[in-house]
Amino acid sequence: MSIFAAAFGFGLVSMSVIALAAVGFTMQFGITNMINLAYGQVMIASAYVAYYLNRAGVTIWAGMIAGAVFGAVFSFLLNRLVYAPFQRKNTSLLGMVIVSLAISLMIANVLLPIVGYFSVSYQEHGGSLVRIGDIVLTNNQIVIIVLSVAIMLGIHALLRYTRLGKAMRATAANPTLARNCGIPTQRVIDMVWLITGALCGVAGVVAALNSDSFAIANGAGFLITALAAAVVGGAGQPYGAMIGAVVIGLVTELSAAAWSPEYKEVVAFALLVLVMVLRPQGLLAKRGALAAAG
Amino acid sequence: MNTFYATNLLIYAGVDIIALLALNLQFGVSGIVNFSFIVFQSAGAYAAAVLSMPPDSNPDYSFQVYFGGFQLPFPLPWVGGALVGGLLAIPIGFVALRKLRSDYQAIALLVTSIIANEVINNARPFLNGAAGLALVPKPLQDQLDTQADYYPYLLIGLTAACVALVWFISARIVNSPYGRSLRAMRENELAATALGKNPVAMKMTIFVVGGTIAGLSGAILVGYLGVWAPSTWQYPETIILFAALIVGGRGNNLGAILGALLVPVGLEEVTRLMIRMNLGPPNLIPALEWVVIGLCILGFLWFRPEGVRPERRRVFEGSPDVELVESVRAT
Amino acid sequence: MSVQPDGPMLRSEDIHRHFEGMHAVDGVSLEVPRGQITGLIGPNGAGKSTFMAVVAGTLPASSGSILLEGEDITRLPAYTRARRGLVRTFQLPSEFARLTVLENLLVAAPHNRGDSLFGALMGRRYWMRDEERIVAEARALLKRFGMSAKESDYAGTMSGGQKRLIEIMRALMLHPRILLLDEPMSGVHPRVIEQIQYYLQVLRTEGLTILMVEHELHLVEELCDSVFVMAQGKLIGSGTMASLRRQREIVDAYLVG
Repeated sequence: MSIFAAAFGFGLVSMSVIALAAVGFTMQFGITNMINLAYGQVMIASAYVAYYLNRAGVTIWAGMIAGAVFGAVFSFLLNRLVYAPFQRKNTSLLGMVIVSLAISLMIANVLLPIVGYFSVSYQEHGGSLVRIGDIVLTNNQIVIIVLSVAIMLGIHALLRYTRLGKAMRATAANPTLARNCGIPTQRVIDMVWLITGALCGVAGVVAALNSDSFAIANGAGFLITALAAAVVGGAGQPYGAMIGAVVIGLVTELSAAAWSPEYKEVVAFALLVLVMVLRPQGLLAKRGALAAAG
Repeated sequence: MNTFYATNLLIYAGVDIIALLALNLQFGVSGIVNFSFIVFQSAGAYAAAVLSMPPDSNPDYSFQVYFGGFQLPFPLPWVGGALVGGLLAIPIGFVALRKLRSDYQAIALLVTSIIANEVINNARPFLNGAAGLALVPKPLQDQLDTQADYYPYLLIGLTAACVALVWFISARIVNSPYGRSLRAMRENELAATALGKNPVAMKMTIFVVGGTIAGLSGAILVGYLGVWAPSTWQYPETIILFAALIVGGRGNNLGAILGALLVPVGLEEVTRLMIRMNLGPPNLIPALEWVVIGLCILGFLWFRPEGVRPERRRVFEGSPDVELVESVRAT
Repeated sequence: MSVQPDGPMLRSEDIHRHFEGMHAVDGVSLEVPRGQITGLIGPNGAGKSTFMAVVAGTLPASSGSILLEGEDITRLPAYTRARRGLVRTFQLPSEFARLTVLENLLVAAPHNRGDSLFGALMGRRYWMRDEERIVAEARALLKRFGMSAKESDYAGTMSGGQKRLIEIMRALMLHPRILLLDEPMSGVHPRVIEQIQYYLQVLRTEGLTILMVEHELHLVEELCDSVFVMAQGKLIGSGTMASLRRQREIVDAYLVG
């Protein structure tokens, strides 16, 4: 029983990490209609930014802020210089997927000569252990959970109560209508990429912190997990991504305890396939993966 | 230019051409963005290996752990590889080719490729995990002397025969009314449905045909290389093939062949040349190659999405446009 | 499953279509008489296009049934309905852009031995005869609609009006029993509107049944033998345009003309 309690604890951490990644990813899709396959690589790049600062003696929490800034700026530029121009050229949805895939490969291969193939880890010891019943977590892991919850609340507040948030939701629902109503969609989109880029950066650092080690090769795994959570919850919807993160985080950790930890991403993938077969619009039905009919 | 280099070049060229003709059928003609293509080539390679190798109880092979080992003679491993490629397309196609938004479909297939690689990599008893399979027999290894001077030419000849066969099949499909229906489905699936075409059936058919041909290409390659491991077939390999189609020109077989020669073959040769001529630190060049591939994709998608050799317009005999009747039979 | 040679060409029985809590089509029952041009009009958002999509099979009905000459086709997918003679066109241009005008028509032709994997692999000699027959048929249609000169041009380069004609010709290649037209005149040059009007009238005299969604009421008046009016997902009236004009609720629902 206590293995599962421990797994549940890990699940809490896992879902916190995944939520950060998935919400950013899904908002990029929901508001700008861009499935950003380079998301995983940007996460890894941000993790490396924090790593080099960490090696120079900076604490990982400050490194996290640096990672967030890097993620924000990089994602913003990525959209401005590559995605948006291709979208303006009326490139098909598939064309955009290929574009983001090409970018993903390029990021990975520009980083590789710089950072190398081998895994690295942060010099940050986990902190003292905290016991809650059968659940045992390190200090760092508690901080991650709290941080994630705080950021989720922040996103909720942003979307619900701020003008920017309302503009984002309007642009997501109907960009032409939003523009015609006087919403500065260009600026909204810029802000979306900055904010989700920052989320991506934080998610990368946090994911790296939560693993024993990381390397460029982990980028694909990060992407799949974020993608799975986003689709399971309902693509394009931030609250869906949060729910998806809970599901994926818990199920992968429980399965890791029950069978083998090597196959966490495979489990996430299996959940993704299951949802796509049984309920393609995701758990929070609205817009989703279904083909546009008539 | 020595024989080894020439053999290597020609066999890779043949395998890449076969693979690209298959991908062209799926993507160029029918609009299926099969980002898991490499899985099918790989399935064919593994199948051919497992069919031609002796069982892992054999003392020479006991350092590997794998299932099967039927020691079948040529050409059964190649046939088996093709069959496995086609069979694998059925469950994957069943899940992925349903009524999904096209970019979702593409991503589902991409993720399948990543996960498949990971699973095979970790599941050691199945196909020897990360180490992969080695000492895969060459075709007709028991009957002929594979070290003899003529053997490379035999392999090249067999490969060329397969290229001819695949070309023949592709040409028949592309230049038929069926090919036309496939292209119509690619252009506007909803309209094609409204005209009585069954898109799911057509996509599954081409997915299986493409998978079969991909499997064959894998069987040929593994027979030549003698080894096959997860590191050989990671998801970026599919991207190279897509880059080739985007550069060479999709929707037509000549464009696919051109793409094969320019990208997987051409870029590889340039890379090899650069490494040999020491034109930069050796660990930098492969990474640079990927960046170039990415730039090629972006560049062509921006400036010339139809590729170097675009799909030709089909003009029928008796057309009022007399001058164009010359350029009729599109290849 | 008996085909009724007399009686309406198409009948819908209490068709409902809801999606995400909205009732796009809220219980529509109507009969489309054979050999006539029937209009389907109504204000924006009335559910006309959704209803057409349900009849064609592009969207599934949430409940209700559709009968084609007495045969229940509600469970059939869209492509099967097309093969049974129920063919639709689309509001937005839906030509096959990178196929030539002739190829657009050839795609539609139903009985072509080369239109299968087996047929393709058997080679040109196997399907050449069928191909020649449908090329002749397509060319005859192109001549009739005055587009012979454009046969080898890419359909994507045609004007809006030409694309409409291509879609109608394409549908005709299927020898349909009923043609569902979704706003065939929208966004089209007035001269082409006259052309389309003329062809639709000719097709009617040849016995074709047409159900047409259209906004331009004067066109509806000229072309349609009778009209159905929808508003907010429901059928609120039917009859000739003249009789409908006299009904206050209809006029109010429309607010215009």
